[in-house]
Amino acid sequence: MGVIIGPRVIEAGLSLRLVLISPVAVAAGFPSPAQDYFDGRIDLNEHLIKDITSTYIVRVSGDSMEQAGISDGDELIVNRALEPRDGSVVVAVLDGELTVKRLKITAAGVVLQAANPLYPDISVPVLADLTIWGVATRCLHHV
Amino acid sequence: MSSSPQQIALVDVNCFYASAERAFDPSLEGKPLVVLSNNDGCAVTRSPEAKALGISTGDPWFKLAPRAKEWGLIARSSNYELYGDISARVMELLGRYSAWLEVYSIDEAFLGIKGSPDQVLGLGRTIKAAVQRNVGVPVCVGIAATKTLAKLANRWAKNNPALCGVCRWESMEPEVRELLMARLPVSEVWGIAGRLEKRLNALGICTILELSRADPVVIRDRFSVVLMRTVLELRGTPCIPLEEERMGRDQLIFSRSFSTPLTSAPEFRQVLSVYAQQASARLARHHLQAKVLTAFAGTSHYNAEDKSFPSVCVPLPMPTSDPVLLTRAAQALLPAIQDGVKYARAGILVTDLRPSGNQQPLEPFANPHEERGIGPLVEQISRKYGRGTIGLGFAGLRTGLDWSMKRGMRSPRYTTHWDELPVVRAA
Repeated sequence: MGVIIGPRVIEAGLSLRLVLISPVAVAAGFPSPAQDYFDGRIDLNEHLIKDITSTYIVRVSGDSMEQAGISDGDELIVNRALEPRDGSVVVAVLDGELTVKRLKITAAGVVLQAANPLYPDISVPVLADLTIWGVATRCLHHV
Repeated sequence: MSSSPQQIALVDVNCFYASAERAFDPSLEGKPLVVLSNNDGCAVTRSPEAKALGISTGDPWFKLAPRAKEWGLIARSSNYELYGDISARVMELLGRYSAWLEVYSIDEAFLGIKGSPDQVLGLGRTIKAAVQRNVGVPVCVGIAATKTLAKLANRWAKNNPALCGVCRWESMEPEVRELLMARLPVSEVWGIAGRLEKRLNALGICTILELSRADPVVIRDRFSVVLMRTVLELRGTPCIPLEEERMGRDQLIFSRSFSTPLTSAPEFRQVLSVYAQQASARLARHHLQAKVLTAFAGTSHYNAEDKSFPSVCVPLPMPTSDPVLLTRAAQALLPAIQDGVKYARAGILVTDLRPSGNQQPLEPFANPHEERGIGPLVEQISRKYGRGTIGLGFAGLRTGLDWSMKRGMRSPRYTTHWDELPVVRAA
């Protein structure tokens, strides 16, 4: 629960950072030489989230992106701050819903494509007509 | 002093709770939306469309509900987890634009900025665009030489679409500023409300312009130094400094309204016990100890008869986060509870907070519970098995959790719970 106390918000945000723990017990007076080389465990947040203010995690419902490696039930990491480009997998607003598609930008216009032949393309005259909610950067897929 | 004087930008999120809801549910765009207070009591945030329907902040939901369908009005329970996270993102982002940031409330912050008029206006526009792009909520930015004027500029930015959400007070023509101040009542000034407004009106000071022209010395003598500062700030003299984040936090509040009113002391014993333990857990998590505990209760404002607002302030024997001591202190409210009165809310406030472990108490004053680590143990078990699985004393009773909060129309906690993530359609 986000609670406002005085001037700061606490207990909010994706504060999932791992705790820094020394991998070796340190005997008093005899520091381990390995200690000097320990900078903390590898951190998935650091690897997957470039900007904590603009990154959201969403869940995929449906199989239209199957051939892009994005399956029903997968989690997508979406960065709202990225500029959508030709070929980006984007979350777009279509009919009031968040929808995942591949963005194709050509001289002829802008197309939202599914990665599954069963689903038709959606053409848009210009990019400005489209509300892009964010750009997917990673897919967390169950193997 | 450096060459360009300090300017203050007030950034706040437009209709914060409603905007946070819309950020994850685009189908709410363009529709009248209200977010309800604790327990689905009354409207606390209205979308512009809901305002256009004539709905006011504070309108009780039971009065709006019968007409909701006809209006196409959508209601949401308060989703504190979501709002807290969105707020944290906004504040983190704002911190990148100024080293001088005062988070003023969940949805607004003052920033100290410098530069030429064009530069600060440009920065204001950059900030507005960045918050919209990164976090997904709209903000307005008011810039001025003082905090009080920054608030006014922000208000003007909100009400004047031509400004596109960013207004620098000193960049407006003097005549425009005067007109605006002559049109707005003193109650629109930051920090002026209720009785103070009435007292000013009695002196013939009704508009902001009149207040800004009042004699500061007279204001100080008749009212207070605080109001004198406001007068000077309205004239462009900075008097209220930016308060940067202080070390430690001043207070923690646990307060909720009940889904059904409580009417007896035994019921309160349990409620207070639960709040005290929540306060203990929160203190422990932030490595804080409190010196003072205040427990309070109150009847509903809609309940004209049987008004009762008991409150007790208990100095704690030592700075502590111990659940046993906090629970015992909170029970001091019980004698003040009137039997048969319908209480709609209760709460606990812990103040005078300090980092734990700052000083060791002398042995005779050491707290045996703290040494046994009861607080952390209860917290660990709650985390593992969920809230309400273990509690001390009366908080451990399995019955009577009926008073816990009603949030029947809450949207998913999109950003804090894995099982409630926003869903994107792949179809």
